[in-house]
Amino acid sequence: MKMTDLLTEDCIVMELQGENRDAVMEELIDCLDRAGVLSDRETFKNDLYAREKHGSTGIGFGIAIPHGKSAGVKEPRVAFGRKPDGVDWDSMDGEPANLIFMIAVPEEQAGDEHLKILQALSRKLIDDSFRQALMEAKTGQEILDRIGEM
Amino acid sequence: MKLLAVTSCPNGIAHTYMAAEKLAKTAEEMGAEIKVETQGSIGAENELTAEEIQAAEGIILAVDKSIDRSRFEGKRVVECPIAEAIRQPEQLIQRFTEGNVPVYRSERQEESAETADPEKETGEGKKSRAQNPIYRSLMNGVSYMIPFVVVGGLLIALSLGLGGEPTAEGLVVPEDSFWAPILQVGESAFLFMVPILAGFIAVSIADRPGLAPGMIGGYIAAEGSFYGSEAGAGFIGGIIAGFLAGYIAKGIKSIPVPQVIQPIMPILVIPLAASILIAVSFIYILGSPIASLMEGLTAFLNGMQGSSKILLALVLGAMISFDMGGPVNKVAFLFGAAMIGEGQTFIMGALAAAICTPPLGMGLASLLAKHKYQKEEEEVGKAALAMGLVGITEGAIPFAAGDPLRVIPSIMIGSMTASAIAMTAGVTDNVPHGGPIVAVFQAIGNVPMFFAAIAAGTVVTALMVNLLKKPV
Repeated sequence: MKMTDLLTEDCIVMELQGENRDAVMEELIDCLDRAGVLSDRETFKNDLYAREKHGSTGIGFGIAIPHGKSAGVKEPRVAFGRKPDGVDWDSMDGEPANLIFMIAVPEEQAGDEHLKILQALSRKLIDDSFRQALMEAKTGQEILDRIGEM
Repeated sequence: MKLLAVTSCPNGIAHTYMAAEKLAKTAEEMGAEIKVETQGSIGAENELTAEEIQAAEGIILAVDKSIDRSRFEGKRVVECPIAEAIRQPEQLIQRFTEGNVPVYRSERQEESAETADPEKETGEGKKSRAQNPIYRSLMNGVSYMIPFVVVGGLLIALSLGLGGEPTAEGLVVPEDSFWAPILQVGESAFLFMVPILAGFIAVSIADRPGLAPGMIGGYIAAEGSFYGSEAGAGFIGGIIAGFLAGYIAKGIKSIPVPQVIQPIMPILVIPLAASILIAVSFIYILGSPIASLMEGLTAFLNGMQGSSKILLALVLGAMISFDMGGPVNKVAFLFGAAMIGEGQTFIMGALAAAICTPPLGMGLASLLAKHKYQKEEEEVGKAALAMGLVGITEGAIPFAAGDPLRVIPSIMIGSMTASAIAMTAGVTDNVPHGGPIVAVFQAIGNVPMFFAAIAAGTVVTALMVNLLKKPV
């Protein structure tokens, strides 16, 4: 399994429309739903919000990673959206989030390959130049290329 | 510096690993070694072994869910939310470099430690001392001061030993000699000694905003001209300045201020206000007592002339080592120097023996009982021996500043021993300087007894301090 198995071009939103966190959440959940990875949209959504409640997933540096390990998810998948103006995510550093990775992980999943990939992505996000490249990418394919380099 | 960390978050999908990555990168940038155990949904990875925990200087627990802490019993542990490790890893690591981290103890152990008398639990000596915030601050200051003492002490020792000439003003390096600039460099290093000590005591209390007020306070403490005194307050004054500056800065830091001012608090408001406060308190409150203390002690010594020689020797010996270069030491030394002019060279003879026993004694002590000294103290011990031979009492300051209550009485007893023996045996010295080097310059009368006095004082110092000190 590669990162590009988890993030596909149909789950990349070059410019998110939503102006607040909830709207952006909906957009990305829709992506995942359209990709057919959700068995129960509401359950997944509830699990996402439960995680946000525990502490915002806006980790700063303009990144938010809403994620849910949920019974409403059939297979692991990532949706990615960009918001050049940023959207308030109640981040640690008070800065708006520009890069939003929504991570869907099934409650029960054989093997942990997908977790290893998400781990690699998380570690990579700490890298300034990687974030910069994601911001500057012109096409979905370019983003996939950058992420595929991991 | 060897650190360990554990990261863990509720889902164990992303934050755990971001924090791990961030800690590892930051540690590398800061020159620290770190190993991070991740407890994510995959389970624990990169697990810490018992040996690694044993060898580590500190543990960072960046955890948003409870983990088993029992394996970190007795280690220095910082706990924080995982977000803090992602956002401010520098500050977490810095707390360890500053020694600003408490030792972790489970409640059960804490209770037993509280009921036990800290003085009696000799086996636990290290833990109870390491937990003491005052001791921790002192050691922080000392560890930064040590290189200055070593560089300064060795250069001064070298230039005096090879280029010095005995004169009525003491050992003097002629201005046109090759050794004169080297002596100056050594003296410059010594100049930083007390400010650095005070500065980093303050840093350990108030973090970086404490540095400027601490160093400035330390400088004022060491420089008597600020308050019309012939001598500054020495390293003891520096310790006082460091703690004062640290607590003042910490106090100002805790005052709530509007958000607009917050960014300039650590670089402008705190250092400026604390520096002014510390300067004012030293110049107007602490300074004049020091000046009058010196006058009083001088009058006292003058009054002692003609009374028992042994008593005078004991007093002089105690004064020389009490603050090593501070006001009390200066009074004794200047008294001895003045008496040379009046032909009473036996007073300087006693002083010359007393002057060198603190560094010689502490050097010997650190060689005899290595387990009672930090690694860096062992190194200072060797340098102290060299400084002792040339009569630089300051060589013992790192030891005294780090553990004053045990070290100062020991070096005082040692110097009193040396001084009393030299006085009784009629050792004379017609150059105002101390240590074996004056014998080399043939300024000493009754050389065998001079060395006997030094040897006795050195051994007494070493034995006494090692008896008092607990294993580190």
